[in-house]
Amino acid sequence: MSELKPRKDLLDIESLTLDEIEYVLENAVPFKQLFQRSVKKVPTLRGKTVLNLFYEPSTRTSSSFEVAANRMSADVTNFSVSASSVVKGESLLDTIETLQAMRSDYIVIRHQAAGVPGIVAQHTRASVLNAGDGYHAHPTQALLDAMTFREVYPDFRGRKVVIVGDVLHSRVARSTSTLFNKLGIEVGVLGPGSLIPEGRHGFMQRFGSWDEVFDWKPDAVYLLRVQMERQEGQFFPSVSEYHKMYGMHSTRVQRMRELGCYLMHPGPVNRGVEITDEAMGYEKSLISTQVENGIAVRMAVLHWLKPETQLD
Amino acid sequence: MSDFPAISTQEILSPTGIEEAITFLAEEIATRCEGENVAFIGIFTRGVTLATRVAAVLAERGIQYPVGTLDISLYRDDFDNRGSDLPRLESSDVPFAIDGSRVIIFDEVIFTGRTIRAALDGLMDYGRPAKIELAVLVDRGHREIPIQPDYVGKKVETIFDDYVKVRFTEDDSKEGVFLVKEKGGTE
Amino acid sequence: MARLFQNGKVWDSDEKAMVPSDLVVSDAGVIESLGSNLSVPEGAEVIDCDGCLLIPGMFDLHVHGREPGDEHKETLASCAEAAIHGGVTGLVLMPDTSPPIDSGNLVKSLQDLVSEYSAISMLPSGCLTKGRKGEQLAGFSGMANRGIVMLTDSGSSVPCPDLLRRCMEYAKDFDLLVTTSCDTTALTKAGAVNEGKVSYQLGLPGIPAMSQEIAIDRNIRIAQHTGARLHLQQISTANAVKSVSCAKEVGTRVTCEVSAHHLLLTEEDVVGYNTHFKLAPPLRLETDRLALVEGLINGTIDVIASNHAPHTEFEKSADFGSAPFGVSGLETTVLSIFDGLICPGIISWELMIECYSNRPRLIVGRDPVKIKEGEKAEFFVFDPEGETELKRDYFKTKSPVTPFLGKTLKGAIRKTVV
Repeated sequence: MSELKPRKDLLDIESLTLDEIEYVLENAVPFKQLFQRSVKKVPTLRGKTVLNLFYEPSTRTSSSFEVAANRMSADVTNFSVSASSVVKGESLLDTIETLQAMRSDYIVIRHQAAGVPGIVAQHTRASVLNAGDGYHAHPTQALLDAMTFREVYPDFRGRKVVIVGDVLHSRVARSTSTLFNKLGIEVGVLGPGSLIPEGRHGFMQRFGSWDEVFDWKPDAVYLLRVQMERQEGQFFPSVSEYHKMYGMHSTRVQRMRELGCYLMHPGPVNRGVEITDEAMGYEKSLISTQVENGIAVRMAVLHWLKPETQLD
Repeated sequence: MSDFPAISTQEILSPTGIEEAITFLAEEIATRCEGENVAFIGIFTRGVTLATRVAAVLAERGIQYPVGTLDISLYRDDFDNRGSDLPRLESSDVPFAIDGSRVIIFDEVIFTGRTIRAALDGLMDYGRPAKIELAVLVDRGHREIPIQPDYVGKKVETIFDDYVKVRFTEDDSKEGVFLVKEKGGTE
Repeated sequence: MARLFQNGKVWDSDEKAMVPSDLVVSDAGVIESLGSNLSVPEGAEVIDCDGCLLIPGMFDLHVHGREPGDEHKETLASCAEAAIHGGVTGLVLMPDTSPPIDSGNLVKSLQDLVSEYSAISMLPSGCLTKGRKGEQLAGFSGMANRGIVMLTDSGSSVPCPDLLRRCMEYAKDFDLLVTTSCDTTALTKAGAVNEGKVSYQLGLPGIPAMSQEIAIDRNIRIAQHTGARLHLQQISTANAVKSVSCAKEVGTRVTCEVSAHHLLLTEEDVVGYNTHFKLAPPLRLETDRLALVEGLINGTIDVIASNHAPHTEFEKSADFGSAPFGVSGLETTVLSIFDGLICPGIISWELMIECYSNRPRLIVGRDPVKIKEGEKAEFFVFDPEGETELKRDYFKTKSPVTPFLGKTLKGAIRKTVV
């Protein structure tokens, strides 16, 4: 029925075809339905091993992958490497050799350096799932965002989303905007000039203020996490100024409500920075749906990718 | 799977034949399950159609059984050999409690029995039926595991490499059951 | 043993043309005779050059020899071999070794190493600042007495403009050429690729074009003020070409160089995260590349220089952000420019010889090499109909790390005579 070519790795969104995107997003739906059963587990990946390799701390993403793998009956090994313990001199290739010896079927990797999952993928027969590399890509986040958006807007084509915050340093913004564009969803951005890669991306419309955003009548507002570690007065003067200019608070929530606009956020949120406690309670917030869909999408991705570990 | 074109296609059941077989299945079930708490589960894709048709025949006679659906892709034992044909998953839908009920699984053809094995696993994850039975339109033999149907529309003699093709208008815009013989084949 | 090169076409630097001619090189390496149908001298080896060109040896102004200190990347011996293999018969060694060459004594010990290990002319340069640290002037007079051909902090731009000014003022007294790489550290920061579409797409920190442009403008201003001779390394953007052109118009004593990589490749080539494309300055846009080619043709850009900066394959196997900048270039400059610019008729051999043989020699006060009777034989035999497959084992450098690795380029260097 389907003429999709099997794919070993999921490294970014750019390289995905529309058919592949549709395939994963459509398959994620039945996976999500499993969560309604008392037995949430299926035996699909029985006997397979998933290595969760996190070079950057992330409880959310790593647990989401772990839950996804568990629900498919795979054995999961968590392997977190704090940046400080990465011994200089041990090259990436040495690490890959070690991983190869562990004979995992799937390697979920997060790394602070862009491109590392790609290097790992080239050197291993396991399927590599990029769980975030530097500022480069976070493809499963993009897929779960798309799934979430499509659930509330089955007629998603031509709809509009505005991404707010540090677009320049965000792999989420990169992957999600790329995927939304592929799906025919318009993406605009709002944020300080120092954090918006203006002029380099024709497809992103930039807004100067929330008023302009609301005039555009977006169907969803996607708040990015403010990277507190980048808050050294280099990109914006202060957190309070950021909050005032770009944060989501009750007045802006009211405008959202009037427009029927949904709220999204990749998590974890910085309460009081990009969003107030009050705004967190907005009835059209999709934040927890995003978390749930994250598991379904990751199951669909595990189901889709084909490791080369079964050869010979 | 052979890449060679089929060397012969023979009709085993005409549209009328299918209708008769479905009526036969309905009657059998009505007789044997009288007064019991029965639920149908169709296996995607054509098992669902079969279950729905049998249920419709029974409904005309005033017997209402709920029909659920089951996609068994996630329970198959050949995941590693899925080749280039990537399975598209369907949403299993079991909109009733199966605990304590007499569940009849529907599939269009029974061959090696592995699909039904997977279906049994899948079904168990929804609960604990009092009894599980199996209804098929065609039994073509060659079982690889000890699973047998309880209700059979038609039994057909085949060789292993044959292919029994069931076509329903709902799914295929064509109706009939065909025996397709490919080149070669084992006795 | 004397050698007779038969049936080739020899570059005539007066006629500026390839002239069919035989050529005899004496046992002592001097061109004895030149002409058609030369008879085979007694006991001479005959080299058939049918269809081939005999081209004056190239001269590379920008080579990181790595010895002393980083012999795992390259040694003077392997560097010399690589140069010869690439048609290069003379070069300038950058002083960024360990220790950096920043005193007369170190120049002397480098010269000793060169005379021991190298068959070709490898001229030393010296640091502008002590230890290349950008804090205080290095010992110019001692190094000048030893014969360095330029002062440069190679790879570091002397961030403090005041210090660079003092360097130039001081260097002028020795008539020493001041050479700078062109980059503004505070703008380059941890950048790895050109800032723009590709850096955004790959999620890598970018190096803005203005990082180089501001440094070039600054350095030109200081040169104008001090009257020192300035050579700008590795220019990479269209605006940089404009700045140099403006400076030359008003008579500034400035020259500049470009690498084959920047003439042939763009940031788009980096998309696969291949660290063999990680260069300093980074590969830029197609518009920049075209401006560089144009600048080369109209004379704004004086020379081609390889920026041969070997790093081992292991060092380059790190992720793109952490891998070191730089690749080998001595063995690919002639071939890649022939393949990409000469073959398609974009530039001529005349310009190539001008930019990669004559002018670089003149910049460091050496005479251009000529293929003439009585001259020392310094030339290479180039087969324009040949092909070169750049496999790992093709290379003589210890670090066969280049964007062209694995490619097949038109043309082949059959032999180099020094």
